[in-house]
Amino acid sequence: MPKSPLMICILFSQLIVGEIIGELSFDNRYFFNAGLQEQKKNHTSFSFSPEIFKDDSNKIFHFKAKLRKDSEDSGRDLNDIQELYLINILEDKEIKFGVSKEFWGVTETSHRVDIINQTDFTEGFDGEEKLGQPMIKISLERQWGLLDIYTLLGFRERNFSGNKGRLRLPLSINEKGPLYSSSSKNKRADFAIRWSNYYDDFDIAISHFSGTSREPRFLPSANKINELVPIYEVIDQTGLEIQYLLDGLAIKGEVISRSGQGERFSAATYGFEYTQVGVLQTRIDLGWVVEFNHDDRLESSPFVLGTRFSFNDIYDSQILSGFIVNDKSKELGFLLEASRRIGECCMLSLEGIYFDDTDEDNGQKKLFQAFKDDDFLRAEFIYYL
Amino acid sequence: MKVLSNLMIKQFIVLTMCMILVCIAGDLSANKGLEIAILSDKNNDGFIDSSSTMTMNLINKRGDVVTRKLRFKRLEVPTDGDKSIAIFESPRDVKGVAILSYAHKVEADDQWLYLPALKRVKRIASKNKSGPFLGSEFSFEDFSFQEVEKYEYLYLDEEIYLNNPCYVIERKPLDPYSGYTKQLVWIDKENYLVQKIHHFDRKSFHLKTQLFKDYRKYDGFFWQPHEIEMINHQNGKKSILIFDDVKLKSGFTDRDFSQNSLKRSR
Repeated sequence: MPKSPLMICILFSQLIVGEIIGELSFDNRYFFNAGLQEQKKNHTSFSFSPEIFKDDSNKIFHFKAKLRKDSEDSGRDLNDIQELYLINILEDKEIKFGVSKEFWGVTETSHRVDIINQTDFTEGFDGEEKLGQPMIKISLERQWGLLDIYTLLGFRERNFSGNKGRLRLPLSINEKGPLYSSSSKNKRADFAIRWSNYYDDFDIAISHFSGTSREPRFLPSANKINELVPIYEVIDQTGLEIQYLLDGLAIKGEVISRSGQGERFSAATYGFEYTQVGVLQTRIDLGWVVEFNHDDRLESSPFVLGTRFSFNDIYDSQILSGFIVNDKSKELGFLLEASRRIGECCMLSLEGIYFDDTDEDNGQKKLFQAFKDDDFLRAEFIYYL
Repeated sequence: MKVLSNLMIKQFIVLTMCMILVCIAGDLSANKGLEIAILSDKNNDGFIDSSSTMTMNLINKRGDVVTRKLRFKRLEVPTDGDKSIAIFESPRDVKGVAILSYAHKVEADDQWLYLPALKRVKRIASKNKSGPFLGSEFSFEDFSFQEVEKYEYLYLDEEIYLNNPCYVIERKPLDPYSGYTKQLVWIDKENYLVQKIHHFDRKSFHLKTQLFKDYRKYDGFFWQPHEIEMINHQNGKKSILIFDDVKLKSGFTDRDFSQNSLKRSR
């Protein structure tokens, strides 16, 4: 007889629901200095992500949640449903109903076009981590490409580090009382559409989003000094993604044009990716990413150089590095990350981030000013259930 | 003087005839090599689609074993190379990662990688095919379908291999991005099944030996090796691929092999 009721529950739901998996992660960040607002040096967090997946050939069910608890910053605590959807595959179309994550884009270091999901800004500032979005998505696959039509039901606000958190803005952010330009506030239904196709070595996608901006602007608070209030406006954003494979070289770019947040503006990321297979007669692959950025709203155009050593061993060992150079202000950011598998169950990654001295004033607006004391080392250990 | 010139003419004729014979023989052995390759390739024509699970055992010099599991689906495309999807099951951190490939007869294959954590489908340059697959001794190239048109052939010999009379042919990849300069292929005379391949690297060093074992017949014509072993002579490691649950004609369509279908694989 199974000893715990939990075991019975798990066995039972496995019979009905399908496969249950999950991951547990322990994450420790050590900052070399106390924060500008006297935050602590050591921050620890735990997260747990249970997942259920069932595939009945033309019906697919997927559930994934993410729970996170931070030792210092309650702004990093998270209870999020990342996936809870049903896909119905019909004769001529596919319908997804529920909460999900959808990625749009081709570039590596920043994602201009990607807009369906809200960003979890407390996880990392690469903006790769997202929050689940309720939606109805209809996909049509035809000779002329793939057409995805989205109705996005309800809006998720961006989460930010709290007052005791690191990598935060100097002013605190009022997350409790955000402003909306739409009278339906966060209940507004948003729409999006994306067409994508490929022709030999050329990939293209065109998209349009009409709804509440995932990226807020900020207003000074009327009630409190040193506080910002996020304002989520209704925007229209058109995006274009292209990629061309020229032998081993992938040339890629994304560009958007957005209206609804003051003057219409455009922003772009473009560059290339190249992998050297078996460098110096070894098993090691060396991947290069070079990407340039442009944003009408900023004076500077940051440039990013990334490298990845893949050791192609049984541990999947990798070393990743990234330089970001801000051309006008001469700021420099550097990232180094090493990861490997441990046994069959676990992954370990070590990461260091360094922001170059940003005290020098050359009259240019700085991007990393707020993070100048936030250089850190991070260790993350993931156990897969 | 006249005698001498007569002798020279005779020598010239003999030499020319020899050269012609060598050329014809060369041509014949190229033709015979190609014929054997075509017969071997035709073997599985008409399977429509197949699926199987794959267990990959990676064995180091000391004999330590680590295991990887994958699911594999393949769709026959009569006019071009086949379409296939490999979905990773273990180790756990890569669970749900999938690779979609459209093989082509002459031009480079198309390949996409699905990363479930980012929910991203990424087009990958199939030119990077000489690198190791999942940390094993198999390269991406060893996993792709070896269309007849991608090589130049030469018939070499007949040889008994494991009690099977075999043809031995040499093939040279036409793709400059191949990790190999040549391969020696043992094909049995009875069923035209590939039994063994010697892979020669860019320095023409005999780098790896690939053995095909435990062939079983499905639906009366489809031959599936249930074990493929790859031995790396340079580092002393080997990888063994075991196929199970082989099924034909599951009724897959192009839709099961689209970029969009990758996003449903996990």
